[in-house]
Amino acid sequence: MFKEAFLAALTVFICYGGNWLFGQTMIERPLVVGMVAGLIFGDLRTGIIMGASLEAIFMGAVDIGGALSAEPVTATVLATTFAIVLNVNEKAALALAVPIGVLAAFISMFMKNVVMNLFAPLVDKYAEENRPGAIAVMHYVMWFINYFIFSLITFFSVLEGAKPVQQMVNNIPDNLMAGLAATGGLLPAVGFAILMRMLWSKQLAPYFFLGFILVAYLELPSVAVAALGIILVLVISFKDKKLLDIQNKQKELENRPVSATGITDSGNETKSDQEEEDFFS
Amino acid sequence: MKLTQDMTKEDKKMLNGIFWRSFTVFASRAGATKAHAPGFMYSITPALNRYYKDDPEGRKEALMRHTTWYNITQNVGTFVMGLVASMEKKNSEEADFDSESIVALKTSLMGPLSGIGDSIFWGVLRVIAAGVGISLASQGSILGPILFLLIYNVPSILTRYYLTYMGFSLGSTFIERIYANGSMAILNKAASTLGLIMIGSMTASMVKFESKLSVPIAGGKPILIQTYLDQLFKGLVPLSITLVCYWLLSKKVNVNWILLGVLILAIILGLLGVV
Repeated sequence: MFKEAFLAALTVFICYGGNWLFGQTMIERPLVVGMVAGLIFGDLRTGIIMGASLEAIFMGAVDIGGALSAEPVTATVLATTFAIVLNVNEKAALALAVPIGVLAAFISMFMKNVVMNLFAPLVDKYAEENRPGAIAVMHYVMWFINYFIFSLITFFSVLEGAKPVQQMVNNIPDNLMAGLAATGGLLPAVGFAILMRMLWSKQLAPYFFLGFILVAYLELPSVAVAALGIILVLVISFKDKKLLDIQNKQKELENRPVSATGITDSGNETKSDQEEEDFFS
Repeated sequence: MKLTQDMTKEDKKMLNGIFWRSFTVFASRAGATKAHAPGFMYSITPALNRYYKDDPEGRKEALMRHTTWYNITQNVGTFVMGLVASMEKKNSEEADFDSESIVALKTSLMGPLSGIGDSIFWGVLRVIAAGVGISLASQGSILGPILFLLIYNVPSILTRYYLTYMGFSLGSTFIERIYANGSMAILNKAASTLGLIMIGSMTASMVKFESKLSVPIAGGKPILIQTYLDQLFKGLVPLSITLVCYWLLSKKVNVNWILLGVLILAIILGLLGVV
């Protein structure tokens, strides 16, 4: 089990550490982690499929403002490792991922906010000594230490946990297994609820139901929903833009004396808005 | 883009340096009090080295003022890096420049920029990318993760690049203006609308519930409860559970409790033979 433990820990280090070293390029998301773990353990297909299920579960687990609800990398790697290496039932492995993710999030927060605080005085010290080179080195050393220690959790979990987990899962009665399988279907609800918190407003709520019905009844694939959504949003934005221009012009008319500068201003605005929309689409 | 038109070779070299270094901005985290200050200092080092070349005291002061707490959604944070570079330039040229204003402006932009950055990149772009990725990956196709990475990263890296230049050349008045004239509100509304459509569609395709319960009919086939539920409204249970989770979150219930609650609910339903 030593080799498997090492490989699993390596996957965590590559995906989790790599994500933050290379600009949060989303290689820490279960979709990608599942694929990498599948590749490393020689069952790409299972890895990708588990990654898809776990992505839905952890959709709302986002590291925003340093507050993390569940840590997806460790959860995905352990669930995929158990499924591929130990032949644990995939549904049961998915259910295991959630408590692992919550626990790992606690450890990750402790590392980043408490343990790494030890380096805070050094930041001030090097700044005072005018040594940007030392800050650069420390920046990378801190990265390495944090993610190295973090991947040790996975190493020991696989090394020590594999046998008990296998035994436990093999002895699960059928109806409990059905319940565990159902968790995989229901847990994404929490993730979507977290994302809705970020975007929801009373005026925009109907669009959530529109998206739901497009798939539940019309059974559109997600590419079609995204494309329709972009068209709809563009049409609405053009209309909003027109309204805004009228409002701004009205304001301008009210402040007649300064209208000379006002006109040039609105000219610039149109240009920057155009850029905004170009960038957005 | 016309942004680079009146920039010197030196300017471009410095801004490209900031752009590349900015990828590592969140690699380290120096505790809760400084957060990503080391990454920020590392990213703007090309600017400091250039403008305080013959002024070690000036560079030292610049480094010291940037040891404070820093955290902005990283794809839009480069705007602030470019902006700080242009302000450090002014500071190095004008003797009576108020250097405190650099940190003040940097700090005041964190909230608004992260707000819009998080909702566009985390709430919308990532959700669209994941929606497309999951639907392909659940059939075992390697295109799933690959498309997911492309859909997210191409716009996000382009944004990171152009905002570095925009921060340097347009400055803080640009942000104030698009907030004041209402363009930001339109962008925000557009992003939230698209995000909600995608989340709604994924609630329908990914939150799954199927009941095994059935009503026995004398002399005929038993009728599955699930058929009734589907006739009432397709996806009624997943939709209700998602809305209940949302309601609990808006009542400030801790996410982890809700996660555990759903886990336990599903297990109990399993034990009772409902699913």
